[in-house]
Amino acid sequence: MSKSGNLDRRDFFKRSSALGLGTLMLGVSHELIANDKIDQIPLGWNSSIKANIPNRLTDMTHRLTKTALSGEHGRQMVYANWEFNEKNDPHLSDNAKYALAAMSVAQNAPLRIESGEIIVGSATLLESANHAIPLLGISSTSHTTLGFQNVLPIGYRGLLKKIENRLAQEGLDDKGVDLLKSMLTVLDAAQAWNNRNIALLEQQMISASEDEKKFIQNTISTLKRVPENPPANFREAVQSLWSMYAFQRLMGNWSGIGRIDEMLGSYLKQDLAKGTLNLGEAREILAHFWIKGCEWIGNTDAKGSGDAQFYQNIILGGINADGKEITNEVTYLVLDIIEELHISDFPTAVRVSKNTPERLFRRIAEVQRLGGGIVSVYDEAGIIDSLVKFGYPLEEARCFTNDGCWEILIPGKTKFWYSPMDSLVLLHSTLGLKDNNPSPDYPDFESLYAAYLKKLEEDIANLNRGIDGIYQGPDHPLAAMFVEGCIEKGLGYDNKGPKYNVMAIHYGGFADTANSLLVLKELVYEQKYLNLPEFCQILKNDWKDNEPLRKLIQNRFEFYGNDNNESDTMLQRVFNDYTEIVSRVKERNGIKRPAGISTFGRELEWLSKRKASPCGSKSDAVLATNFSPSPGTDKKGPTAVLKSYCKMDFTRVPNGAPVELKILPGSVEGEKGIAALVGLTKTFIKMGGFYLHIDVIDSATLIDAQRHPERYPNLPIRIAGWSARFTTLDKQWQDMIINRTQQIV
Amino acid sequence: MSSGKEGNISGLVFDIQRFSTHDGPGIRTTVFLKGCPLSCHWCHNPESQSPLPELFFSKTICIGCESCNQVCPHGMAREILSDNNLRKEKCGTCDLCAGTCPSKAIEMIGKIYTSNEIISEVEKDIPFYESSNGGITISGGEPLLQFDFTLDILKKAMQKKIHTILETSGYTSKKRLLKIVPYVDLFLWDIKASDEVLHRKLTVAPLKPILENLKLVDKAGTKMVLRLTVIPEVNMSKNHYENIATLYAELENVQGIELLKYHDFGISKAGKLGFQNPVVFNKPTDQDVQRIYEFFEKRNNKITIIKG
Repeated sequence: MSKSGNLDRRDFFKRSSALGLGTLMLGVSHELIANDKIDQIPLGWNSSIKANIPNRLTDMTHRLTKTALSGEHGRQMVYANWEFNEKNDPHLSDNAKYALAAMSVAQNAPLRIESGEIIVGSATLLESANHAIPLLGISSTSHTTLGFQNVLPIGYRGLLKKIENRLAQEGLDDKGVDLLKSMLTVLDAAQAWNNRNIALLEQQMISASEDEKKFIQNTISTLKRVPENPPANFREAVQSLWSMYAFQRLMGNWSGIGRIDEMLGSYLKQDLAKGTLNLGEAREILAHFWIKGCEWIGNTDAKGSGDAQFYQNIILGGINADGKEITNEVTYLVLDIIEELHISDFPTAVRVSKNTPERLFRRIAEVQRLGGGIVSVYDEAGIIDSLVKFGYPLEEARCFTNDGCWEILIPGKTKFWYSPMDSLVLLHSTLGLKDNNPSPDYPDFESLYAAYLKKLEEDIANLNRGIDGIYQGPDHPLAAMFVEGCIEKGLGYDNKGPKYNVMAIHYGGFADTANSLLVLKELVYEQKYLNLPEFCQILKNDWKDNEPLRKLIQNRFEFYGNDNNESDTMLQRVFNDYTEIVSRVKERNGIKRPAGISTFGRELEWLSKRKASPCGSKSDAVLATNFSPSPGTDKKGPTAVLKSYCKMDFTRVPNGAPVELKILPGSVEGEKGIAALVGLTKTFIKMGGFYLHIDVIDSATLIDAQRHPERYPNLPIRIAGWSARFTTLDKQWQDMIINRTQQIV
Repeated sequence: MSSGKEGNISGLVFDIQRFSTHDGPGIRTTVFLKGCPLSCHWCHNPESQSPLPELFFSKTICIGCESCNQVCPHGMAREILSDNNLRKEKCGTCDLCAGTCPSKAIEMIGKIYTSNEIISEVEKDIPFYESSNGGITISGGEPLLQFDFTLDILKKAMQKKIHTILETSGYTSKKRLLKIVPYVDLFLWDIKASDEVLHRKLTVAPLKPILENLKLVDKAGTKMVLRLTVIPEVNMSKNHYENIATLYAELENVQGIELLKYHDFGISKAGKLGFQNPVVFNKPTDQDVQRIYEFFEKRNNKITIIKG
């Protein structure tokens, strides 16, 4: 035994060889075995966080985790290196080519199955990790959650039947028939890939020890049953979900996972009731799903906006279509796994409400406390209201998940994308900051505000016109067959086949816009401290020789995020006007356009277009993220931030508007810390928020990680809707995160 | 401070901190009152000791605009504020420099609030107190130095069903203590040293009346937590912890002991007050703290250690 309670490799195989057959074989009692040392830092986490991490998973599982997190698998990925002549065949339709490409990939893509993996099947091609379809050289799909929950209970054979039934009926045109036929070929490809994995396992069995042979045989037996058939038990359900997901990925698609606890909960419940599986074994199996999700780490050395953006989102908890709370043992197992393995590659959002079990509130806090920004929460009731208000039927609204990041959608039914825009540049334009002409001089604040709104209206109208013509192909047969509407209509995923076709309208920069409007209103028009042309000239000169004025503004104003009436009311006004304008066109040409508020890290990209702003920022200042306060302006701690944020009516913004809280590790230590985190979450629900990220992090650690990245290989950090390893960000992104991190004593 | 209108009393406050998680259970708002009868060398809020408003000067924030020098009667605001001796000699704390400084490099510490204003601020976070069993903590300095102010705030907080904590050295008159006891849900009671001579040396104040007050409050039935600042060269002795353990056994309403590790966050604040050579102590290690826990656990297993 290497650590107390953990098994070494030989014992692991000995005991786990009978996996699924009822004996407690994974060796580790699933009671809590706390680490002896308080300051043991597994896997390079944040060392200023002190907590006892339970040690329930086996050594093998920890080893596989470490290997995946190290990037070893990612570094071994290759581009498809075989001939695919059909690509240029003029007699083949696009869908036929797609289907043949899928078959070619299934037959030729390298396979990778590590010794000791309970869940198997690897997406090994580099094209996939670059959002491209192997062999075809075109972009794949992402930003949605495919209907795994619909296919899992019926298996591929059920899906096949659906497609065949539809083909047998009337009403499909040639293109529709072509699409559905290619879907059938794609299913054949999926089966071919599965069979190759089985063959590899049979190969591996030849040189395996007796115990290992049993272990591998179990995996083979599982693959022979799923994903072709409905799962008969929890292990099969987990493998089926992974296989479906992995084949999608292999063909380049980046779907979210969705409500994994709702999908898998009944299988686990049955196994537990029958006594064929215990919680410790179930946790082990599910942990291997998490390990698989890390296999693309390290696929590129390029630094940028971080390495974990494959939109592998997990949703936990919440009510189902009938209004019943679904939280079950799988919910808690997921949190156990994140806690122990600290894998950030499945960003996890919990749908919480006043009916969320106390146990779940507590577990969320216990995992949040470890940092990494991995677990966030949605105010479920408010979101459902906003979706119904937007026009979704209640039963579907209740099923909401997100697009793999955080934007809200209905899973298994939606083609989703979004248009990111900046509201702050419109204010700069209103003030005439961009050109050399004298700035317009508005006689009063209301005429200035009206001019700004007019620009916003025009911007959105232009955007809507551009949106009118989108979603005209390609079909993406593999994604299409997982999305309701495509098979029925015979229309592809990008071709308005899905039941819901969404292009969300997203604007960022509102906090800084509203703060700037407040300054203009008070300094120029009320106090008459200076007139508008003077102010605009100062801004055009990027505050040169006016540092005292700039500092005065920054220090004398209480901006959004400080629970201050004036600044919050101003933001409310802008928020209400923005959402009202967007709501004028809820749907047109079959494309829905819900409002959202976001930046997604474009605070950096937008710098080249932004000027100095009246709120005191220079033209090179990296400003507010999503719907959080502007960096450095929130001076009263997280409760004040939440108070400000929750003043908005989020039913007006059905696609979402997140707020991020950065909390010092010292503030949330021990039992008091857990109570504080639970308190923040419960109050967020009580006051009606939308989406809350809490990241427990201190800037000292980030600065150290910037200087000594080798000490922090797996320090995950929340960015703007996803977590990534801090050391994979380039310096500009790192600096942005450091500047955003609050310091609360 | 003075009594204003009936039911609305003024006091001098140097900070109001929302989302406090170290001054009692749950999410709290801590109100820090200015002025303290003690003069502990290790105080990490050195601006809390004087009962008068004081000026902070942070060199690192200063942008060099010299607006302060233009309004300073001596014309040398930055120079004076950087040196405690010059301050004593020349500075009249007229606050013109703070009023004009655009970057808040010069800041007046200590603002007058009425008790109603304090409650308005504190009640903003009631939803958070309710979700976490939090509330208000009054601290300082020594809040009992501004007795009427503190009493009024606690009364009003209690009326609004906000859980009340008073963080105190216990140095006050018995009469006042008994008057305030009905409005305190929990005392956080600091015990700097348990030997009379050492106590006077470290804090200036006598220990005896503090202990008598503690026992009085206990008798009145109010809960308390004993807080022990741990400073290795100063008060970390087996003798001290023996005395504390003995004291603990005599108290019926004590909820536990909390160990506060000395930290040096106050050093930069001392610099902002113009102290060029503030006293710095060594910090206790995690092992030091662990040993103290073990001592208490062995000595009397009924002693609860509140570990935050």
